Amino acid sequence: MDEIENKETVASTHKIGIYLWIWGLLFVLSFFSYMVDWFQFQGLLRWTLILIFMFLKAGLIMAFFMHLFWERYALVNVLLWPMTAIACFIGLMVAEAKYTVFTRLLYFFIGG
Amino acid sequence: MSDEYNQKNTPIKAQSSEITSSSSGSSKDIDYVRPAELPEQDLYHGHSFITKWIFCQDAKVIGVQYFLTAVFTGIVGLVLSWLMRLQLGFPELVPFITAEHYYQFVTMHGMIMVVYFLTALFLGGFGNYLIPLMVGARDMVFPYVNMVSFWMFFIAVCVLMASFFVPGGPTGAGWTLYPPQAILPGTPGSNMGIILMLVSLSLFVIGFTMGGLNYLITILQARTRGMTLMRMPLTIWGIFTATALAMLAFPALLVSCIMMTLDKMLGTSFFMPTIVQAGEVLSYGGGSPVLFQHLFWFFGHPEVYIVALPAFGIVSDLISVHARKNIFGYRMMVWAIVGIGALSFFVWAHHMYVSGMNPWFGFFFATTTLIIAVPTALKVYNWIITLFRANIRMNTVMLFCLGFIVTFVNGGITGIFLGNVAVDIPLSDTYFVIAHFHMVMGIAPLMVIMGAVYHWFPLVTGRMLSEKLGKWHFWFTFLGAYSIYFPMHYLGFIGVPRRYFEMYDSPYVTSAIGMNEFITVAALIVGFSQLIFIYNIVVSLSIGKPAGKNPWKANSLEWLTPEVPPAHGNWGEKLPVIHRWPYDFNVPGAKEDYITQTTPPSEVISAEVEKT
Amino acid sequence: MSDNSLKNLPGGFKGMSQDMGSDQTAFKGVQWGKVMMWIFLLSDTFIFSCFLISYMKGRTSTVVDWPNTSEVFSLHVNGVAVPLLLIAIMTFVLITSSGTMALAVKYGYEKNRKMCGWLILATAIGGLTFVGMQAFEWSKLIHEGVRPWENPFGAKQFGSFFFMITGFHGTHVSIGVIFLFIYSRKVFRGDFDKGKRGFFTSMKSDYVAIEILGLYWHFVDLVWVFIFAFFYLW
Repeated sequence: MDEIENKETVASTHKIGIYLWIWGLLFVLSFFSYMVDWFQFQGLLRWTLILIFMFLKAGLIMAFFMHLFWERYALVNVLLWPMTAIACFIGLMVAEAKYTVFTRLLYFFIGG
Repeated sequence: MSDEYNQKNTPIKAQSSEITSSSSGSSKDIDYVRPAELPEQDLYHGHSFITKWIFCQDAKVIGVQYFLTAVFTGIVGLVLSWLMRLQLGFPELVPFITAEHYYQFVTMHGMIMVVYFLTALFLGGFGNYLIPLMVGARDMVFPYVNMVSFWMFFIAVCVLMASFFVPGGPTGAGWTLYPPQAILPGTPGSNMGIILMLVSLSLFVIGFTMGGLNYLITILQARTRGMTLMRMPLTIWGIFTATALAMLAFPALLVSCIMMTLDKMLGTSFFMPTIVQAGEVLSYGGGSPVLFQHLFWFFGHPEVYIVALPAFGIVSDLISVHARKNIFGYRMMVWAIVGIGALSFFVWAHHMYVSGMNPWFGFFFATTTLIIAVPTALKVYNWIITLFRANIRMNTVMLFCLGFIVTFVNGGITGIFLGNVAVDIPLSDTYFVIAHFHMVMGIAPLMVIMGAVYHWFPLVTGRMLSEKLGKWHFWFTFLGAYSIYFPMHYLGFIGVPRRYFEMYDSPYVTSAIGMNEFITVAALIVGFSQLIFIYNIVVSLSIGKPAGKNPWKANSLEWLTPEVPPAHGNWGEKLPVIHRWPYDFNVPGAKEDYITQTTPPSEVISAEVEKT
Repeated sequence: MSDNSLKNLPGGFKGMSQDMGSDQTAFKGVQWGKVMMWIFLLSDTFIFSCFLISYMKGRTSTVVDWPNTSEVFSLHVNGVAVPLLLIAIMTFVLITSSGTMALAVKYGYEKNRKMCGWLILATAIGGLTFVGMQAFEWSKLIHEGVRPWENPFGAKQFGSFFFMITGFHGTHVSIGVIFLFIYSRKVFRGDFDKGKRGFFTSMKSDYVAIEILGLYWHFVDLVWVFIFAFFYLW
């Protein structure tokens, strides 16, 4: 895995505090997203909360634990732009799923 | 333990990217190239026959291994296409070709040609051989992983071939493997055949991921001094973008393979709706067949460009070298390749206009499909403008390039027809579609592969291929392929459906019978004429004219190795230093008609070179 | 990792265009292995995205009711059903292990062999706990009659997607655990200090390998965040 030799003698690392902070935040956010289910929020509120907590957690893990926040933009952009293809795929599949369930209800239940 | 190159322990040092101006007093030096960022690569040198030729970590050997394996599967695919054509041209002439066998041939021909032949040949074969040489690296960045990649591919091919010999034979579901029919009784090979196909595809994806990581990172992170991205040959750009597409598209194939395997083996209902079979309701229910099609084409459309983009890149280089002229609009060509690659993830459902998907999708996908034609057309114009008033050498390589342009334009234009929903609906599932995609992603890339073999054979073996045999080979292949696929457009227009084993007494028979016979004869001739090619290669290996260094007077790095054919480690003592792009042909004021990439500016001070 | 010479380069989009326009490397100061892991993870992201998109399509388009996940995955504590209790604990375990891994990477770069080794070992044990709890969850559901092809609670696809997606994720965790154990041994043995050559690749070891392993492990955690949100909370 490690074909490049790293000749840096002392690599500067980040302070331990930042990791502990993020760690704590992740626990809090996980707790919050669990609470969404505990209080049985439904509908749009549930979805909004789930997605907010999910993206916050994912963002924190990527930015700090995976060091993306400290990486140069070249790497960050190469990694994030392909997600537009996934976003497009998700959007279209939502439309497709709605259409599928519509035809199923139409032909199997109402029409059939 | 490995031998090493003498390595200087230079620390990793990143510096300003502006090459000509340096902060130290050497800014006057026009030959200045900033120093190396990375230490020399640590390479494993094989000693025994096994580590040198079989489990070899040298990208060049791996490239040849990929090439030979892919060509072997390609020949299997070719023979399958003969059998199909025999049945279509002369129904029931060969008693062995039953309807079941016919569908198995169709399926295996399609899958072999698209995945195991073209993808493996372009990325595995040409990619492995050319990437380290063209970017000036000693080898791929992870030689061991690269070796494992080939052997995974090899196992995938073995599993695929094994499906010919299992009970029930290989799958006959069509190369798209659409469920539910692919895994239901009644489809040939719906037991072992389809399982082996899915396993083989999964292995291919895993193996390819290993190789693909190598190609991408070698290009991104292991270029030599002076080699900026915009000084790379277009071949590398094509292979690079295609590999990036593969890394993002193959996951969808892997996922659909896993899900279909579960449907088959465990009886899950991912893709399986409620089905009544012979009056009996099966245990499946509630699944979504159209989901498979979306997943498959989310892979399948980028796959088209995985095959096409390396061909675009390679043909640009071949045209430039053999027309002795710089490629017209290099940057436009690069951005077109990248743009086509990016757009290819947004067009997939134009393969599904008649699938019963959400009808509104037609608008979206027809629009994106027509948009993707723009960069593609730009490329065609640029090839033609490159040829315009150029000093064209009419050799075999150039002939194949011209053949490529013609077939590609032909197939591309029919693609624009098919991209429109209203035109596609009557034409889909007819021979028009067959003609379209064979022209555009069958014959056109094949023309490039053949041209590329004639071009790079001297590099790989040190001997030239015979020009005379090459020209015979070209004319047989080109005219033959045209006589196969051009009439198919007409067959499509009169409505002959694809995937039909036989027309029996349908009205198509009377008007299409002569044409079908003609196509079959042409297919047989074209197939056999490839023996000229194989003969040429085999004979030239031993008695071909010695090529010497840089026989085509090309500029790009692969011809500038100290030894020809290049040895392990490629560059001997010192890595090359790059001063220009690879397209400085016929530069006004230069002594010769080409300036290699390693020529420093001070040696060609009077030449009016492009600033790259 | 921040390197002193890297600090002289401009950052932001200007830095990006300069990096992309430069020779030799496009990602300045990023080791080959690290780029490899990042691009592999990008590819793996597409795999998990395809799984989750298929799940979304399957769940939205089924006309049979989807089981109520907070009931199905509830755990009885003193006779009271606590919704998603096990899943919540699994989430916390995985986040804990992610945190220890992040610290292990930090200590690895500081050449603190002992700390690094113990933290990797802790991460591995966290991962093992997670896999164990997942096995418990699977056996509980199988006991209740959930199968990949059918289940007593509702739509057939529930079991199919549950076993497939958590199984695929669990496989990733298991592979990660195996590598964590191997690497903790390597760290304790001092392979990364001595630059010992790999058994297969015969290439030299380096502490960057810990960061690469860390990337993989955080990715596994990242995927779990999405699975938790979409499979259990939806």
